[in-house]
Amino acid sequence: MRRVGLVVLCLLLAGCGVQPSAPQDAGDAPTGVARGITLYFVDSRGALRPDVRPTGRLGTISEALALLLTGPGDSSLHTEIAASTTQVGTVTTARAIQLRVPLSIREVTPKGIDQIVCTALGVHVQGGGSRRTRIQLLFTTAPASASAMLRTCPLTD
Amino acid sequence: MTGRRWLRGLRARLLVAFLTVTVLGAAAAAWASARSASTALVDGEQRRISETIVGQVRTVTPQLAYPPDRPALDRLRTVVGEDTVVGYRGLRSADGAETRLVTPALRSAVRARGRTVTQRITAADGRPWLLVGMPIVRTAPNGARTPSGIELYAVRSLGGVEVQIDDLSRSAARTVALTLPLAALLALVAARSVLRPVRELRDTARRLADGDLDARTSPGGADEVAQLTVTINEMADAIQTSMTEMQRMQADAERFVADVSHELRTPLSTLTAVTSVLAIAADGADPDAREAVELAIAETDRLVRLVEDLIEVSRFDAGTAVRREEPVDVVAAVRDCLGARGWADQVDLVAPDAPVVRLDRRRLDVIVANLVGNALRHGGPPVRVEVTATPQELQIAVTDGGPGLPADVAERVFDRFYKADAARARTPGSGLGLSIARENARLHRGELTAGNAAGGGARFVLRLPRDQGSEAAPCTPPTSSPAPEDR
Repeated sequence: MRRVGLVVLCLLLAGCGVQPSAPQDAGDAPTGVARGITLYFVDSRGALRPDVRPTGRLGTISEALALLLTGPGDSSLHTEIAASTTQVGTVTTARAIQLRVPLSIREVTPKGIDQIVCTALGVHVQGGGSRRTRIQLLFTTAPASASAMLRTCPLTD
Repeated sequence: MTGRRWLRGLRARLLVAFLTVTVLGAAAAAWASARSASTALVDGEQRRISETIVGQVRTVTPQLAYPPDRPALDRLRTVVGEDTVVGYRGLRSADGAETRLVTPALRSAVRARGRTVTQRITAADGRPWLLVGMPIVRTAPNGARTPSGIELYAVRSLGGVEVQIDDLSRSAARTVALTLPLAALLALVAARSVLRPVRELRDTARRLADGDLDARTSPGGADEVAQLTVTINEMADAIQTSMTEMQRMQADAERFVADVSHELRTPLSTLTAVTSVLAIAADGADPDAREAVELAIAETDRLVRLVEDLIEVSRFDAGTAVRREEPVDVVAAVRDCLGARGWADQVDLVAPDAPVVRLDRRRLDVIVANLVGNALRHGGPPVRVEVTATPQELQIAVTDGGPGLPADVAERVFDRFYKADAARARTPGSGLGLSIARENARLHRGELTAGNAAGGGARFVLRLPRDQGSEAAPCTPPTSSPAPEDR
C-alpha cells in the first residue's frame, strides 16, 4: 500500500518538469519583405493602376507616399495630385492611420485621394498590418467632415 | 513476524489507510495545481519568446533587401539575437552553438504550415530548450501571402522556467509532507475513539467468560459499536437469567433428594428393628418362610445403605460436608478398615512406610472401604492395597486381578449410579460408592483416579497432599434440613 503511494508520488513529481513537445503552432509568420513599393496612379481611362517601383525593399508608408507625390515619372500613367513637397506625416492609432499630407483638399481629386489611400494601405498590409485598417487624411485646408472621414481603398476593399 | 501482526491491528490499519488517502489526495491536488501552474508558466514563456522574435523580425523586414544577400541575412540574425540561424535558398547565416538543436520535425512543420512554430525539447544533458521556427512571408497589397523563401530558427533556453517549476514542485511536495503528521494525529484520534469501546467490550466479554455474570458495558453514542454493546448486554442478561434459573432448579433437586432421604430414614429404622425381630422369630419357621425373611432383611440393609449414601451425597452437593482432622496412622487405619469388614485375609496390604497424616479418619475409611469393596465385587483376586508416602503426598493404590477397565468405563466409573455391566444391574452396592469416595478425596484436596495396572487389573489410586493447610474444609452453614452427622 505504502509502496504504491510512493510510486504514485514519484510519478506525479516526475510529471512536473518541462516536458518535450511536438511542433506546435505559434501564430502568423512575420511578413514585410517585398521586391519593391507599390504606388497607385491613374491610367488614361481614369482607373487606378498599381505601379511597382523595384526598390528591393518595402520601406515605410512615408517613403511610399513621398514617391507617390513625386509623380509617375515617364510612364503612360498620370497622377491626380498636385505637385507639392513630399513630406507626409503618419500617425498610427488603434483604428486608423492618420496621414498629414502637404496639400489642400482642393489640390486633390477624389481619384487622387484614392491614390494616396491605396498606396498607404498597400504598404501597411504588405508590412503585416490588418486589411481592415482605415486611413484618415488630414489636409492643410479642408472641411471638418473631410478630415474626420475614415477612408478605404476601392481596389483592395 | 511481529511487525506483520502489528500491521493487522485495527489501529495500524486505520493509520495506514488514513495516511494513504491523505497522501494520495494531497498529492493529487498538489500535482494538479503544480501541473496547471507549470503549464501556464511554460505556455506564457513560450508565447513571450516567440512573440518577441516575431516582433523583432517585423521591425527589420520592411527595410530588408529582397531577395536578401548575405549581409541582409546577417542583419536579420543580429537583430533576433544569439543562437539564431537564418537561411534563404543556398545562403545561411548562423550564430551560436545551440542552433544544432533545431529538429528536422520543426523545419518540416515550418515549411508545411507557413506559420510560426515552436517546439520544446530536452537536450542530451537534460536542459530544456524552446525551438522557434518561422518562415518570412511576402504579402501582396491585397493581403495574399506567399513564402519568401527566408526561414529563421532560434533556440532559447527554458532553464529559468524549469527552475520556477521545480520550486513549485518542491513546495507542493513540502505541503504534502506537512499534511502527514496531521493525518497521523487524526488517524490516531479516530482509532482511539473506535478502539476504546472495543477494548471495553473485550474486557466485559472476558469477565463474562470468567463467570462474572454481572459484567456489563455502558453503551455510549449510537454507532455500530454501541449497538454491539447493547446486544452483548442483552446476551449477558439472558445468560444470567437462565443460569440463575438452572441453579435454582438444581438446588431444588438436591434439596428434594436430601429431604426424601431423611424422610425415609425413620421408617427404615423401624423396618430394621422389625426385621431383626422377624429374624429371631423365623428361626423356628419353615424353610420357605425363613428364606423370605432373610431376603427381606438383606433388601432392608441395602435400602438403609442406599439412603445413607444418598444423605452423604446430598451433604457434598449442599457443601455441608465437614473434614474432622486428626493425626492418623494411615497403615493402621487401612488395616482396621479391612479387618472390620472381614476382608483382611482376601486383601494384600503392602505398606513400606508408616506415615502419620492429618486427615479425617472416617472419610479415609469410607474411601478405602469403597475401593476395596469395589475391587472384590467387580474385579478378581488378588486384591492389593499399597500405601506409600512422600514428604508431600500420601498415595493409596488399590489393584485387583480382574480384566481391568475398558477405556470408556474408566472415565465414567465415578458417575453416580453408573453400572459398567448393564446385565448385572442388581449388585449389593448402592451405585454411589465410588462417587462418594472421589468427593471425600476432593474434600481432602486430593484426587482419585481410575486406570489399569501393568498386569491388566483395574487400579484405583488415591493421592492426598500431606500438608492439608490451615484452611478448614468447605463449611458453608446448611441451608435446609440440617443433616446430623451419622455413624
